[in-house]
Amino acid sequence: MSADRKTILVVDDAALVRVYYRSILEKSGFQVEEALNGLEALEILLVKAADLLVVDINMPQMDGLTLLRLLREREDALASIPALVTSTESEEADFAAARAAGANFYLVKPVEREQLVEFARMLCGVVP
Amino acid sequence: MPLVRKPTHPTEHLKPSPAEVRTGLVSADAEERWAAARAAAELPGAETALAAALPGESDPRVREAMFTSLVRIGTRDSMAGVLPLLRSDDSALRMGALDALRSSPLAAHEFLPQLLSDPDADVRLLSCELARSLPGEEASRSLCALLAAESQVNVCAAAIEVLAEVGDQAALATLARCAERFAQVPFLEFAIRLATDRITAAGKRG
Amino acid sequence: MAELPAPTEDEFRRLCEYLYRRTGMIFTEAKRYYVERRIFDRMAATDCSSFATYFARLRADTGDEIQQFVNAFTVNETYFYREDYQLKCLTNDLMTERVRGKHSGDMIRIWSAACSTGEEPYSIAIWLLENWPSVDEFAIEIVGSDIDTRVLELARTGTYGKRALMRLPPELIGKYFDALPGEQWRISPQLRDSVSFTSVNVVNPDQTGPHGRFDIVFCRNVLIYFDDASRRVAAENLYENLFPGGFICLGHTESMSRISPLFEVRRFADAIVYQRPEMKRS
Repeated sequence: MSADRKTILVVDDAALVRVYYRSILEKSGFQVEEALNGLEALEILLVKAADLLVVDINMPQMDGLTLLRLLREREDALASIPALVTSTESEEADFAAARAAGANFYLVKPVEREQLVEFARMLCGVVP
Repeated sequence: MPLVRKPTHPTEHLKPSPAEVRTGLVSADAEERWAAARAAAELPGAETALAAALPGESDPRVREAMFTSLVRIGTRDSMAGVLPLLRSDDSALRMGALDALRSSPLAAHEFLPQLLSDPDADVRLLSCELARSLPGEEASRSLCALLAAESQVNVCAAAIEVLAEVGDQAALATLARCAERFAQVPFLEFAIRLATDRITAAGKRG
Repeated sequence: MAELPAPTEDEFRRLCEYLYRRTGMIFTEAKRYYVERRIFDRMAATDCSSFATYFARLRADTGDEIQQFVNAFTVNETYFYREDYQLKCLTNDLMTERVRGKHSGDMIRIWSAACSTGEEPYSIAIWLLENWPSVDEFAIEIVGSDIDTRVLELARTGTYGKRALMRLPPELIGKYFDALPGEQWRISPQLRDSVSFTSVNVVNPDQTGPHGRFDIVFCRNVLIYFDDASRRVAAENLYENLFPGGFICLGHTESMSRISPLFEVRRFADAIVYQRPEMKRS
């Protein structure tokens, strides 16, 4: 494993979405971990470092914004992990809520390949 | 030896009266609301009080207990009480409602047809998940009926997600037509291809 | 019966995704051979002639098929000091947190809520006596419960064979067990008398409620196999059986992320455990 490969944690309850993002991100040189809700994501983050979160809002057990708020409240490095939020919703109020929860960017689903890669590279500090 | 053994048996567990449950559900104290929400599961007719208390409940744990009690009551009425919450502006309330409905195969069976043809695309999207609780053939049929007429990309995505797990041979034609309609949406193209591969594979031998 | 062809890539993925969603278990490519074997075995055992039929059975969880399938991948034997990383977590971290605010002589209550034939609660007792420096300062109550009354009887009797003791060093066996003829060992009367056993179905609040609140609950390899509705109720029951700030430990491959949002996750050096939130100070 290359030491400078960035790790992205993809958090979405839809398996096909995770498979899709994984195929896109791995082809662009990222290492990908998966979780299917905010609780599982948190457990993974407590044990494994990630450079970026790509996290859907609507998930069972713990939704994406709740996960973000919990992370931002922490006093360790997890508090500042970059987060790209995804959602089917596209109202101004939804963008505002995501920003308030601590999201860095917001992509409306279905997410486009080029957008995902561009934002992932930017938030991970990767020069293409 | 520091290990002690206490004589059983323990604290008598008094059940609250119906009136106590009703007032408890709207108490200012979260612990009281929790206890009332739990006790409500065993009270005939409590489903109305539970459904009424849910939209105003701010504590996520109490909300969870309220949903669980509605699931435990498990009647058509108790599940019907959950349906309106699928339309809530509050994401946590929507997802909580979905989780409750998901735990009840009866709810899926009773309500899925009407939910999948709901005028609200968000409701249709969430409801696709409920098809997982149904036997494969019924689930596949219901989702295909939705997919054939669906114009919203994300609702299609939700249906295809579940079809990848439950879809049967009869779904292949619907998926192919959906791929044609949404040829310009790469994610749907990907999802349909994957679902088609899965269904085809399973169908090959049996 | 004709030899069944190997599951295809798509069949393998479909099954893996389903089990991941349902139980949280991840089957990587490395496990592929074993998963395929297990599919064959279970298809034969359940008389399913096609993968589609078998997968439908798995989804419906007919005859506890999920547990049947997954059994091959989890260690199901129970023995003393099994999953000792949790015992280490107990003495390294959990007990320390629980005794904060307690005084000398106060009670600490520990519940082994799916204790089967007793190895778990007796292991906890022995581990604490051997490894916890503060063990003599407090009154420790250990309760073992199971839904199955036959295994509880065996637990109360406390007699075990060689396999159950395989992780225990000889000096501990000598200290806490009496040797019986026929390669059997019995827990010493003093230790047997220190652990109580009760019959409890964790899904039934009328059975869990009366046991009161515990500082630490172990509920390993049970919840994950319940259906959605039962899991929710059981999680709420166990929540009520914890003091605010109390801990619950699940099995190695289990996570609350598939079970309930009631608990907070805590990471310690030896284990991830779940915690009932402390009382809020307003």
